Amino acid sequence: INSKQLKMLQSKVLMRHPMLKWFLMSHEKQSYVLQLAILSLAMILSFCTRLFSVIRFGSMIHEFDPYFNYRTTKYLAEKGFYEFHNWFDDRAWYPLGRIIGGTIYPGLMVTSTALYHLLNTFNFTVDIREVCVFLAPLFSSLTTLVTFLMTRELHSTGAGLFAACCISIVPGYISRSVAGSYDNEGIAIFCMLLTYYFWIKSVKTGSLCWSACCALSYFYMVSAWGGYVFLVNLIPIHVLCLMLTGRFHHKIYVAYSTFYCLGTVLSMQISFVGFQPVQTSEHMGALGVFGLCQIYSFVEYVRSKLTKENFTALFRTILMFSLGCFALFFAVLTLSGKVAPWTGRFYSLLDPSYAKNNIPIIASVSEHQPTAWSSFYFDLHVLTIMFPVGLYYCFKNLTDHNIFVILYGVTSIYFAGVMVRLMLVLAPIMCILGGIGLSSVASTYVRNIDLTRKEDKKSKKSADNYPIKSEVALVVVCIVGAFMMFYAQHCVWVTSEAYSSPSIVLSAETAHGRIIFDDYREAYWWLRRNTPPDAKVMSWWDYGYQISAIANRTVLVDNNTWNNTHISRVGQAMSSPEERAYPIMRELDVDYVLVIFGGLSGYSSDDINKFLWMVRIGGSTPSGEHIKEHDYYTPQGEFRVDKLGSKTLLNCLMYKLSYYRFGSMYTQTGQPSGYDRVRNAEIGNKDFELTYLEEAYTTEHWIVRIYKVKKPDNRGNLV
Amino acid sequence: MEALFSLPFQVFICPNLKLRKPSWLKTPSPMFVFALILVSYFLVTGGVIYDVIVEPPSIGSTTDANGKSKPVAFMAYRINGQYIMEGLASSFMFLLGGCGFIILDQTNKPSLPKLNRIILLAIGLLAILVGFFVSRVFIKFKLPSYLGN
Repeated sequence: INSKQLKMLQSKVLMRHPMLKWFLMSHEKQSYVLQLAILSLAMILSFCTRLFSVIRFGSMIHEFDPYFNYRTTKYLAEKGFYEFHNWFDDRAWYPLGRIIGGTIYPGLMVTSTALYHLLNTFNFTVDIREVCVFLAPLFSSLTTLVTFLMTRELHSTGAGLFAACCISIVPGYISRSVAGSYDNEGIAIFCMLLTYYFWIKSVKTGSLCWSACCALSYFYMVSAWGGYVFLVNLIPIHVLCLMLTGRFHHKIYVAYSTFYCLGTVLSMQISFVGFQPVQTSEHMGALGVFGLCQIYSFVEYVRSKLTKENFTALFRTILMFSLGCFALFFAVLTLSGKVAPWTGRFYSLLDPSYAKNNIPIIASVSEHQPTAWSSFYFDLHVLTIMFPVGLYYCFKNLTDHNIFVILYGVTSIYFAGVMVRLMLVLAPIMCILGGIGLSSVASTYVRNIDLTRKEDKKSKKSADNYPIKSEVALVVVCIVGAFMMFYAQHCVWVTSEAYSSPSIVLSAETAHGRIIFDDYREAYWWLRRNTPPDAKVMSWWDYGYQISAIANRTVLVDNNTWNNTHISRVGQAMSSPEERAYPIMRELDVDYVLVIFGGLSGYSSDDINKFLWMVRIGGSTPSGEHIKEHDYYTPQGEFRVDKLGSKTLLNCLMYKLSYYRFGSMYTQTGQPSGYDRVRNAEIGNKDFELTYLEEAYTTEHWIVRIYKVKKPDNRGNLV
Repeated sequence: MEALFSLPFQVFICPNLKLRKPSWLKTPSPMFVFALILVSYFLVTGGVIYDVIVEPPSIGSTTDANGKSKPVAFMAYRINGQYIMEGLASSFMFLLGGCGFIILDQTNKPSLPKLNRIILLAIGLLAILVGFFVSRVFIKFKLPSYLGN
């Protein structure tokens, strides 16, 4: 049959069975539709898998830090950008206040507000809280897309699709971007990957346009998260590595010079960053490499113009002279203090024992602990196995952009090992390298599969030294598929069980069904409705942001922890007996004290369990020198709350506020009254009265307890 | 100008040194660097930094009903805690799985003799399966409620 008859036959078949159109499309069109379908499914999946806590607990903001971001976003949405930029908040860190405009990364708030105003112009009147809750899942969909684009640049479309599917459900990223977790990292990972994508494009093409896009997305990254320091050091390290391996050429020169100049100028527009890019050691690497680029290119230019002997003589003298000058100049700047040394948080990444020995506040945050093997496996599953494979394939064909990916992988493995929180930075590169590995394995072996029928196979003489080629290939491809299925099962389980808890609402399974503990919000709303608007609330710094956002009252210390002395004062008040704590509370104008107590409900993250940190931080400043940690232990060195506990502990303010009236409560069958269900002990100091405070409110399950500080007597201390 | 430069040499005598870059110093091959990275990956995912800071024991111990102390290999119920041995064992499993895939890639060379190819295939497949399933078993020891409810 000739082509005309074939076409008539095709159109006849199509008219009767329109679905068969698929088989008549060319291979390119088929593969394009497949790619689009897989990518859209991955993007929808990444949004949906983050919605567990919205389905279980409702649409609310989680944890502690997101409440601060929510409060500032509300302020920005109501008052506009200039009010926000110049905002001095006198309702936190009483009596010091906090310059919010200058100590915040505004990217997150500006993004939410822009989205909010955009939706409202189209008359979708969503509340700002809904935008905040669902922003992170939305940006995770965009991250999936950018990961696909980036891996496609690095390797191939197949690797891109694998990487996109991996990153849509990887638990290491989900943990910080679940719906309700309204934190900087939610958009920062998107910005970071976008910057890296543009960087790889500019290294490959050497075009000014892509480098400018890279600088713009770097600006967005700087506005979003303090972790931009990682970017501004990784890209210079990449350029340095290319110079050392002899791969430096004009494309990289254009890319880096444009990126550095535009990026630095743009990053200094954020008030929090200010002049840091030219003053602090964390940014000096980028400046150094910029200078080195110029020198290297100039040297190459001169080399092309001079004869060989003249050139080598000139080169040696100038190199020695300039290196010496530069080293001297840099040493003088550092010693004279003009260039600040590495700050505490970043220095503890280079020397992990620094925080443990010197800065207890940094050491006490559980996210800053080093990482154990199970965190790696829990957050990454099969990617921990595929990471070396991806690296191997990158090393097999080394190109300029592969070197970038290798450097990114190696540095982020190290940083994730130092601090659990940075697992978030590791997750994308694990997905990219895992995608490259899986795709290379799959594509190598799919080529070997031969699905022709047995009789045809006998006639084709397969190579003698490769028996059962097709069967082995089938087995390997099935293994790859099975790994992905196990990965998906693991990720969904982890998301559902471990990372979908709002922390502000707790739930527990009992024989009678599920109980919800909404004590935190109950207490904050009590504060909001039953205390004067200018009341000052003292609590440990963990709860500061929540009290500011929900209860709308002035707090003394909050999660920003910028002033160690002030926190130490609060710690001294909590660790001292009532008589010595009262003058501290009068000095700080405290009206209400809020403590978290888990003894009745079994909630283990309460203030008594955090108490030793209060003692350590309280004793770390000169006014708290009388507070010594070993006073709060028994003579045998144990921390006990029962009769054998140390007298200092049994009489301090935190103990009394937690266990007031608890001595008469029966908490568990078979146990005496006053049995603490978290410490598993009957408390030692049961029947006592408070002299300077009175109980104002205790929530349903006794988790939050609020006390009012009594005003001094009119006629002085008659006691 | 030449007179100024020759001044120091009126006082000092230049020694007759021949300094050359040592011949064994050359840029390492990619696969050598890759091997180094694998070693560091083994150490970091085994939680070596955690071990240095927190200093856990190499094996834990509990006392059973008779008062005898029994060794405990895995620190249970905590995702971010480990003993030294369990960390190194698990990261060895990760690496085993990864090396299995790398070996599988080597078997595709067309010039390999038949016996070598079969042996490499078998080793590779075994390494992959052992690495993956043993990691699963380890995390089940650590978290008894893993993949449960």
